[in-house]
Amino acid sequence: MELLDRYLQAVKRHLPWERQDDIIAELGANLEAQLEDKEAELGRPLTKEEAEQWLKQMGSPIQVAARYQRQQYLIGPALFPTYWYVLRLAFFWITTVYVIARVITVAAQGSSVEAYAGIAFGLPWIWLVNAAIITLVFAVIELSAPRFPEKFSKFGPLAGSMAGPLNARWSPLDLPPVGAVDGENKPWSFAKAMAEVIFGCLFFAWLLLVPHYPYLLFGPGAWYLASLPYTLAHAWWPFYWCIVFINGFELMWKIGDLTGGAWAKRKQWRHWALHSLSLIPLGILLAAPGQQLFLAKNAAANLKTLADANKGVHTGLMIAVAVVALQIVWHAGKIVVESYRKRVAA
Amino acid sequence: MTLTESLFENLRLELRRGCLTLAVLAQLKQEHYGYTLRKALAARGMEIDESTLYPLLRRLEAQGLLTSEWREEEKRNKRFYKLSADGEQIFARLLDEWNAINTSITNLL
Repeated sequence: MELLDRYLQAVKRHLPWERQDDIIAELGANLEAQLEDKEAELGRPLTKEEAEQWLKQMGSPIQVAARYQRQQYLIGPALFPTYWYVLRLAFFWITTVYVIARVITVAAQGSSVEAYAGIAFGLPWIWLVNAAIITLVFAVIELSAPRFPEKFSKFGPLAGSMAGPLNARWSPLDLPPVGAVDGENKPWSFAKAMAEVIFGCLFFAWLLLVPHYPYLLFGPGAWYLASLPYTLAHAWWPFYWCIVFINGFELMWKIGDLTGGAWAKRKQWRHWALHSLSLIPLGILLAAPGQQLFLAKNAAANLKTLADANKGVHTGLMIAVAVVALQIVWHAGKIVVESYRKRVAA
Repeated sequence: MTLTESLFENLRLELRRGCLTLAVLAQLKQEHYGYTLRKALAARGMEIDESTLYPLLRRLEAQGLLTSEWREEEKRNKRFYKLSADGEQIFARLLDEWNAINTSITNLL
């Protein structure tokens, strides 16, 4: 039957090449036997429409051939959790390292805003290459582990397709204690809350005294620094008062919690809101006119050293802003995911 | 197809998957080639698509549960399958498992 031959030829094109002839010979024999039965039942050959209908019921050639494939996935269900974990970990670290390295490079070159935007545009490529490499490595493990079980057994969790070694190596005793995972939600004791307020008050008093008594910050080095031909730029004053305001604000909040009896439950969003405020003083320093945070006090100042110091501190501040911003984005994401999870659970 | 029907279809296929293997192993205590095996199973109420059964036979053979040989019958070359020695052992154990599950489900109902 010509239609059956065409069908078998189409199936053959999608079969693994080394087993094509064998599979087609068997499939052909089975289908021909089935066709003979059908025709014997009807007492006549199948019409073209009947034959078409019969072969359509079998499924498209691609679908039929696909069922003869040994493996139809790159990474199987046993290895997938490990793959997903490694992928997420790699994404996090590669993004962090890439952003910090690029920000330093761009800042050192004194590049424009477009250069910083270019960092963000470069990220998708980094992610894509990273995902491709990790997927390739895991696909090779998936393919090789069943063929060479003795070589992969020592990798335990990596050889996910081998449930035996995986289960043998795992023990509940290796799991981290509850507090280590969920420490953020542990109730805060009264003693800790009281200590926080006491040390917060002491720190605040120290902060207010530092401008008048620099040796509280620099120790004996304060007299040496005063003798240098350099002085701080005006931008340090708004920076300082911003720090004072943020610390005062946090201290008042903690005192309010303590007196109001709300010390036990630590509020993560508040912690991170205050952490976000730390971007303001950093921004004030970054916006200093001409990026000059140190100025020459008199003619004895070495202008090259001064320029190098200003550039170095400016770069350091850029990195600090990048790190704080990444931390905030990361924790904001965690808070959003956690609140979504709680809402779904409710 | 509605969401409920689609879900039911998925669960039904999942439930049938293991049962099909058991049915094929049970039927292959006697030698069959693909088409007669399909007919024999259908005659006992276990309908299986060709596109499911024929690749399943290959897979079971690759796993060592079946043996096969090409032989001419009615002027046509056909591949005949039969339960191997390993297959018989595995089949016996699977049958015990099946009976235990069946009993449990019956008790639950």
